[in-house]
Amino acid sequence: MALIEKVPVYAEKIPGGSIVTTTLERVLSYGRATSLWYLLFGTACCAIELMCTGASRYDFDRLGMIFRASPRQSDLIIVAGTITKKMAPRLRRLYDQMAEPRYVIAMGGCTIKGGPFYYDSYAVEKGVDHIIPVDVHIPGCPPRPESLLEGCIHLQEKIKKQKLGDWHKKVRSYDQG
Amino acid sequence: MTRDDLKDYIASHFGDKLTALDTGRYDPLYELKAEHLVEVARALRDDENLKFDFLCNIGAVDTTEHFEAVYNLASTTKRLRLDFKVIMSHDNPEIDSVIDIWPGANWHEREMWELFGINIRNHPNLTRFLLPDEWDQGFPMRKDWDAPDFIRMPEPET
Repeated sequence: MALIEKVPVYAEKIPGGSIVTTTLERVLSYGRATSLWYLLFGTACCAIELMCTGASRYDFDRLGMIFRASPRQSDLIIVAGTITKKMAPRLRRLYDQMAEPRYVIAMGGCTIKGGPFYYDSYAVEKGVDHIIPVDVHIPGCPPRPESLLEGCIHLQEKIKKQKLGDWHKKVRSYDQG
Repeated sequence: MTRDDLKDYIASHFGDKLTALDTGRYDPLYELKAEHLVEVARALRDDENLKFDFLCNIGAVDTTEHFEAVYNLASTTKRLRLDFKVIMSHDNPEIDSVIDIWPGANWHEREMWELFGINIRNHPNLTRFLLPDEWDQGFPMRKDWDAPDFIRMPEPET
Protein backbone atom coordinates (compact mmCIF):
# COMPACT_ATOMS: atom_id res chain seq x y z
CA MET A 1 0.00 0.00 0.00
CA ALA A 2 1.35 3.39 -0.95
CA LEU A 3 2.19 5.91 1.80
CA ILE A 4 -0.28 8.44 0.45
CA GLU A 5 -3.13 5.96 0.91
CA LYS A 6 -2.37 5.76 4.66
CA VAL A 7 -2.86 9.50 5.23
CA PRO A 8 -6.69 9.36 5.40
CA VAL A 9 -6.53 6.23 7.61
CA TYR A 10 -4.48 7.98 10.33
CA ALA A 11 -5.60 11.59 9.88
CA GLU A 12 -9.27 10.78 10.22
CA LYS A 13 -8.75 9.24 13.67
CA ILE A 14 -8.01 12.75 14.96
CA PRO A 15 -11.05 15.01 15.51
CA GLY A 16 -11.29 17.37 12.53
CA GLY A 17 -8.61 15.36 10.76
CA SER A 18 -10.57 15.22 7.53
CA ILE A 19 -9.61 18.87 6.99
CA VAL A 20 -6.03 17.68 6.64
CA THR A 21 -7.01 15.04 4.06
CA THR A 22 -9.20 17.25 1.93
CA THR A 23 -6.78 20.17 1.97
CA LEU A 24 -3.84 17.93 1.10
CA GLU A 25 -5.93 16.31 -1.61
CA ARG A 26 -6.79 19.64 -3.17
CA VAL A 27 -3.21 20.95 -3.07
CA LEU A 28 -1.80 17.75 -4.58
CA SER A 29 -4.43 17.50 -7.31
CA TYR A 30 -4.03 21.13 -8.23
CA GLY A 31 -0.28 20.73 -8.50
CA ARG A 32 -0.50 17.56 -10.54
CA ALA A 33 -3.13 18.85 -12.92
CA THR A 34 -1.41 22.13 -13.71
CA SER A 35 2.13 20.89 -14.21
CA LEU A 36 1.71 17.85 -16.44
CA TRP A 37 5.15 17.40 -17.90
CA TYR A 38 4.91 15.01 -20.78
CA LEU A 39 7.41 12.57 -22.18
CA LEU A 40 8.63 13.15 -25.70
CA PHE A 41 7.36 9.92 -27.18
CA GLY A 42 6.27 9.82 -30.80
CA THR A 43 6.29 6.71 -32.96
CA ALA A 44 4.33 7.79 -36.05
CA CYS A 45 2.45 10.64 -37.70
CA CYS A 46 0.58 11.57 -34.49
CA ALA A 47 3.93 12.85 -33.24
CA ILE A 48 3.77 15.61 -35.86
CA GLU A 49 0.49 16.83 -34.40
CA LEU A 50 1.97 16.49 -30.92
CA MET A 51 4.92 18.68 -31.94
CA CYS A 52 2.55 21.18 -33.49
CA THR A 53 0.52 21.31 -30.28
CA GLY A 54 3.70 21.94 -28.35
CA ALA A 55 4.77 24.75 -30.67
CA SER A 56 3.71 28.38 -30.51
CA ARG A 57 0.44 28.27 -32.45
CA TYR A 58 -1.38 25.92 -30.04
CA ASP A 59 1.05 26.24 -27.15
CA PHE A 60 0.96 23.45 -24.55
CA ASP A 61 2.80 25.76 -22.15
CA ARG A 62 -0.37 27.58 -21.22
CA LEU A 63 -1.69 24.37 -19.65
CA GLY A 64 1.54 24.06 -17.71
CA MET A 65 2.70 21.24 -19.98
CA ILE A 66 6.38 21.13 -20.88
CA PHE A 67 8.06 18.34 -22.80
CA ARG A 68 10.69 16.27 -21.03
CA ALA A 69 13.21 14.07 -22.76
CA SER A 70 13.54 11.70 -19.80
CA PRO A 71 10.82 9.44 -18.35
CA ARG A 72 12.19 10.15 -14.86
CA GLN A 73 11.02 13.75 -15.11
CA SER A 74 7.64 13.13 -16.73
CA ASP A 75 4.17 12.77 -15.25
CA LEU A 76 2.36 12.06 -18.50
CA ILE A 77 3.07 9.92 -21.52
CA ILE A 78 1.20 10.82 -24.69
CA VAL A 79 1.39 7.66 -26.79
CA ALA A 80 1.54 9.38 -30.16
CA GLY A 81 1.59 6.77 -32.87
CA THR A 82 1.40 3.11 -33.80
CA ILE A 83 2.80 0.71 -31.23
CA THR A 84 4.22 -2.41 -32.80
CA LYS A 85 4.63 -5.68 -30.95
CA LYS A 86 8.35 -5.07 -30.93
CA MET A 87 7.87 -1.61 -29.39
CA ALA A 88 5.37 -2.76 -26.74
CA PRO A 89 7.91 -3.99 -24.13
CA ARG A 90 9.87 -0.75 -24.58
CA LEU A 91 6.74 1.32 -24.01
CA ARG A 92 5.97 -0.63 -20.85
CA ARG A 93 9.52 -0.06 -19.69
CA LEU A 94 9.36 3.70 -20.29
CA TYR A 95 6.06 3.79 -18.42
CA ASP A 96 7.57 1.90 -15.49
CA GLN A 97 10.47 4.35 -15.35
CA MET A 98 8.20 7.37 -14.90
CA ALA A 99 7.60 8.87 -11.46
CA GLU A 100 4.28 8.07 -9.77
CA PRO A 101 1.55 9.16 -10.20
CA ARG A 102 1.82 8.85 -13.96
CA TYR A 103 -0.88 9.37 -16.53
CA VAL A 104 -1.39 8.09 -20.05
CA ILE A 105 -3.08 9.66 -23.05
CA ALA A 106 -3.67 7.32 -26.00
CA MET A 107 -3.58 9.55 -29.03
CA GLY A 108 -5.03 8.46 -32.35
CA GLY A 109 -6.69 5.39 -33.81
CA CYS A 110 -3.58 3.17 -33.73
CA THR A 111 -3.23 3.42 -29.96
CA ILE A 112 -6.94 2.83 -29.39
CA LYS A 113 -7.59 -0.27 -31.51
CA GLY A 114 -4.82 -0.58 -34.09
CA GLY A 115 -6.37 2.00 -36.43
CA PRO A 116 -5.66 1.34 -40.10
CA PHE A 117 -3.55 -1.66 -39.08
CA TYR A 118 -6.42 -3.51 -37.42
CA TYR A 119 -6.81 -5.95 -40.32
CA ASP A 120 -4.08 -8.03 -41.94
CA SER A 121 -1.28 -6.93 -39.66
CA TYR A 122 1.07 -9.26 -37.86
CA ALA A 123 3.15 -6.49 -36.31
CA VAL A 124 0.85 -3.92 -34.71
CA GLU A 125 -0.40 -4.09 -31.12
CA LYS A 126 -4.15 -3.57 -31.28
CA GLY A 127 -4.59 -1.00 -28.54
CA VAL A 128 -2.12 0.24 -25.89
CA ASP A 129 -4.67 -0.75 -23.22
CA HIS A 130 -3.04 -4.17 -23.39
CA ILE A 131 0.27 -2.70 -22.21
CA ILE A 132 -0.40 0.27 -19.94
CA PRO A 133 -3.50 1.74 -18.23
CA VAL A 134 -4.89 4.58 -20.33
CA ASP A 135 -6.61 7.63 -18.80
CA VAL A 136 -7.83 9.47 -21.88
CA HIS A 137 -8.36 8.20 -25.43
CA ILE A 138 -8.31 10.74 -28.26
CA PRO A 139 -9.74 9.43 -31.54
CA GLY A 140 -8.61 10.72 -34.92
CA CYS A 141 -6.11 9.78 -37.58
CA PRO A 142 -4.23 11.78 -36.56
CA PRO A 143 -6.24 13.97 -34.13
CA ARG A 144 -5.95 17.70 -34.71
CA PRO A 145 -4.12 19.75 -32.09
CA GLU A 146 -7.48 21.06 -30.84
CA SER A 147 -8.53 17.47 -30.04
CA LEU A 148 -5.28 16.84 -28.23
CA LEU A 149 -5.69 20.02 -26.19
CA GLU A 150 -9.24 19.00 -25.31
CA GLY A 151 -8.01 15.58 -24.27
CA CYS A 152 -5.40 17.19 -22.01
CA ILE A 153 -8.04 19.43 -20.43
CA HIS A 154 -10.20 16.35 -19.80
CA LEU A 155 -7.23 14.71 -18.12
CA GLN A 156 -6.68 17.80 -15.94
CA GLU A 157 -10.31 17.74 -14.85
CA LYS A 158 -10.01 14.05 -14.09
CA ILE A 159 -6.90 14.62 -11.97
CA LYS A 160 -8.54 17.49 -10.09
CA LYS A 161 -11.41 15.18 -9.07
CA GLN A 162 -9.13 12.43 -7.79
CA LYS A 163 -9.16 11.44 -4.12
CA LEU A 164 -6.01 10.53 -2.20
CA GLY A 165 -4.86 7.09 -3.24
CA ASP A 166 -7.23 6.83 -6.19
CA TRP A 167 -4.40 6.58 -8.67
CA HIS A 168 -2.74 3.69 -6.84
CA LYS A 169 -6.01 1.80 -6.57
CA LYS A 170 -6.69 2.20 -10.28
CA VAL A 171 -3.24 1.07 -11.34
CA ARG A 172 -3.30 -1.87 -8.97
CA SER A 173 -6.61 -3.07 -10.39
CA TYR A 174 -5.17 -2.71 -13.91
CA ASP A 175 -2.07 -4.74 -13.06
CA GLN A 176 -4.23 -7.49 -11.55
CA GLY A 177 -6.24 -7.55 -14.78
CA MET B 1 20.93 1.83 -75.20
CA THR B 2 17.15 2.07 -75.30
CA ARG B 3 14.75 -0.37 -73.72
CA ASP B 4 14.21 -2.20 -77.01
CA ASP B 5 17.96 -2.41 -77.58
CA LEU B 6 18.31 -3.85 -74.11
CA LYS B 7 15.69 -6.51 -74.86
CA ASP B 8 17.50 -7.48 -78.08
CA TYR B 9 20.84 -7.51 -76.33
CA ILE B 10 19.54 -9.77 -73.53
CA ALA B 11 17.90 -12.07 -76.10
CA SER B 12 21.14 -12.49 -78.05
CA HIS B 13 23.56 -12.75 -75.11
CA PHE B 14 21.50 -14.30 -72.30
CA GLY B 15 18.70 -15.84 -74.34
CA ASP B 16 19.34 -19.38 -73.15
CA LYS B 17 19.07 -18.49 -69.43
CA LEU B 18 16.74 -15.49 -69.21
CA THR B 19 13.23 -16.07 -70.54
CA ALA B 20 11.38 -12.86 -71.37
CA LEU B 21 7.94 -12.49 -69.80
CA ASP B 22 5.49 -10.26 -71.61
CA THR B 23 3.83 -8.44 -68.73
CA GLY B 24 3.23 -5.04 -70.29
CA ARG B 25 5.07 -3.33 -67.46
CA TYR B 26 7.66 -0.65 -68.09
CA ASP B 27 10.85 -2.42 -67.02
CA PRO B 28 11.59 -5.67 -68.87
CA LEU B 29 10.96 -8.75 -66.73
CA TYR B 30 12.66 -12.10 -67.15
CA GLU B 31 12.43 -15.52 -65.63
CA LEU B 32 15.51 -17.33 -64.47
CA LYS B 33 16.12 -20.85 -63.19
CA ALA B 34 17.42 -21.00 -59.62
CA GLU B 35 20.53 -22.97 -60.56
CA HIS B 36 21.71 -20.24 -62.96
CA LEU B 37 21.12 -17.35 -60.52
CA VAL B 38 24.68 -16.63 -59.37
CA GLU B 39 26.23 -17.20 -62.79
CA VAL B 40 23.78 -14.93 -64.65
CA ALA B 41 23.79 -12.26 -61.94
CA ARG B 42 27.57 -12.03 -62.12
CA ALA B 43 27.47 -11.87 -65.90
CA LEU B 44 24.88 -9.07 -65.85
CA ARG B 45 27.04 -7.07 -63.46
CA ASP B 46 30.28 -7.59 -65.37
CA ASP B 47 28.98 -7.24 -68.93
CA GLU B 48 30.71 -4.25 -70.57
CA ASN B 49 27.51 -2.99 -72.22
CA LEU B 50 25.14 -3.54 -69.28
CA LYS B 51 27.06 -3.04 -66.03
CA PHE B 52 24.12 -3.71 -63.68
CA ASP B 53 26.06 -2.52 -60.65
CA PHE B 54 23.12 -1.75 -58.37
CA LEU B 55 20.59 -4.13 -56.86
CA CYS B 56 17.60 -1.91 -55.99
CA ASN B 57 15.52 -4.49 -54.24
CA ILE B 58 14.71 -8.15 -53.79
CA GLY B 59 11.04 -8.90 -53.35
CA ALA B 60 9.51 -12.22 -52.44
CA VAL B 61 6.07 -13.40 -53.51
CA ASP B 62 3.98 -16.24 -52.15
CA THR B 63 1.62 -17.38 -54.90
CA THR B 64 0.44 -20.33 -52.73
CA GLU B 65 1.74 -22.70 -55.46
CA HIS B 66 5.35 -21.59 -55.33
CA PHE B 67 7.59 -18.82 -54.07
CA GLU B 68 9.14 -16.18 -56.30
CA ALA B 69 12.07 -13.90 -55.63
CA VAL B 70 12.03 -10.77 -57.80
CA TYR B 71 15.33 -8.98 -58.32
CA ASN B 72 15.27 -5.34 -59.50
CA LEU B 73 18.53 -4.27 -61.07
CA ALA B 74 19.76 -0.88 -62.22
CA SER B 75 22.84 0.29 -64.02
CA THR B 76 24.10 3.62 -62.71
CA THR B 77 26.51 4.21 -65.59
CA LYS B 78 24.44 2.91 -68.53
CA ARG B 79 21.09 4.13 -67.16
CA LEU B 80 19.29 0.81 -67.59
CA ARG B 81 16.80 -1.10 -65.51
CA LEU B 82 15.99 -4.79 -65.59
CA ASP B 83 14.03 -7.19 -63.40
CA PHE B 84 14.15 -10.92 -63.22
CA LYS B 85 12.44 -13.47 -61.04
CA VAL B 86 13.41 -16.85 -59.75
CA ILE B 87 10.78 -19.47 -58.95
CA MET B 88 11.18 -21.84 -56.02
CA SER B 89 9.14 -24.79 -54.82
CA HIS B 90 6.60 -24.10 -52.09
CA ASP B 91 7.60 -27.04 -49.91
CA ASN B 92 11.30 -26.37 -49.70
CA PRO B 93 12.10 -22.82 -50.86
CA GLU B 94 15.84 -22.34 -51.24
CA ILE B 95 17.94 -19.89 -53.18
CA ASP B 96 21.59 -18.94 -53.52
CA SER B 97 22.87 -15.75 -51.96
CA VAL B 98 24.03 -12.95 -54.28
CA ILE B 99 25.99 -11.05 -51.62
CA ASP B 100 29.25 -11.77 -53.43
CA ILE B 101 27.90 -9.91 -56.45
CA TRP B 102 25.94 -7.10 -54.77
CA PRO B 103 26.78 -6.69 -51.04
CA GLY B 104 23.53 -4.73 -50.61
CA ALA B 105 21.62 -7.99 -50.97
CA ASN B 106 22.53 -8.89 -47.41
CA TRP B 107 19.54 -7.40 -45.58
CA HIS B 108 17.09 -8.10 -48.41
CA GLU B 109 17.94 -11.77 -48.16
CA ARG B 110 17.74 -11.76 -44.37
CA GLU B 111 14.30 -10.18 -44.61
CA MET B 112 13.22 -12.79 -47.16
CA TRP B 113 14.46 -15.53 -44.85
CA GLU B 114 12.78 -14.05 -41.80
CA LEU B 115 9.36 -13.15 -43.20
CA PHE B 116 8.89 -15.85 -45.88
CA GLY B 117 11.03 -18.68 -44.55
CA ILE B 118 13.04 -18.90 -47.76
CA ASN B 119 16.37 -20.49 -46.99
CA ILE B 120 19.37 -18.58 -48.38
CA ARG B 121 22.37 -20.74 -49.24
CA ASN B 122 25.84 -19.29 -48.48
CA HIS B 123 24.53 -16.33 -46.51
CA PRO B 124 27.11 -15.21 -43.91
CA ASN B 125 24.70 -13.94 -41.24
CA LEU B 126 21.22 -15.40 -41.40
CA THR B 127 19.82 -13.97 -38.13
CA ARG B 128 16.61 -12.31 -37.04
CA PHE B 129 16.44 -8.54 -37.23
CA LEU B 130 12.93 -7.28 -38.08
CA LEU B 131 10.59 -9.34 -35.93
CA PRO B 132 10.73 -9.27 -32.11
CA ASP B 133 13.55 -11.37 -30.64
CA GLU B 134 11.13 -13.72 -28.90
CA TRP B 135 9.04 -14.30 -32.05
CA ASP B 136 7.94 -17.93 -32.42
CA GLN B 137 4.92 -17.72 -34.69
CA GLY B 138 6.47 -18.68 -38.00
CA PHE B 139 6.68 -16.67 -41.20
CA PRO B 140 4.06 -13.90 -41.20
CA MET B 141 4.23 -12.92 -44.87
CA ARG B 142 3.17 -16.37 -46.08
CA LYS B 143 -0.36 -16.54 -47.40
CA ASP B 144 -1.34 -19.45 -45.14
CA TRP B 145 0.04 -17.81 -42.00
CA ASP B 146 -2.24 -17.30 -39.03
CA ALA B 147 -1.98 -16.28 -35.38
CA PRO B 148 -4.47 -15.98 -32.49
CA ASP B 149 -4.67 -12.17 -32.64
CA PHE B 150 -4.40 -11.90 -36.42
CA ILE B 151 -7.58 -10.50 -37.97
CA ARG B 152 -8.04 -11.03 -41.67
CA MET B 153 -9.80 -8.35 -43.71
CA PRO B 154 -13.37 -9.53 -44.39
CA GLU B 155 -14.48 -9.83 -47.99
CA PRO B 156 -16.17 -6.63 -49.14
CA GLU B 157 -19.95 -6.80 -49.38
CA THR B 158 -21.23 -6.52 -52.90
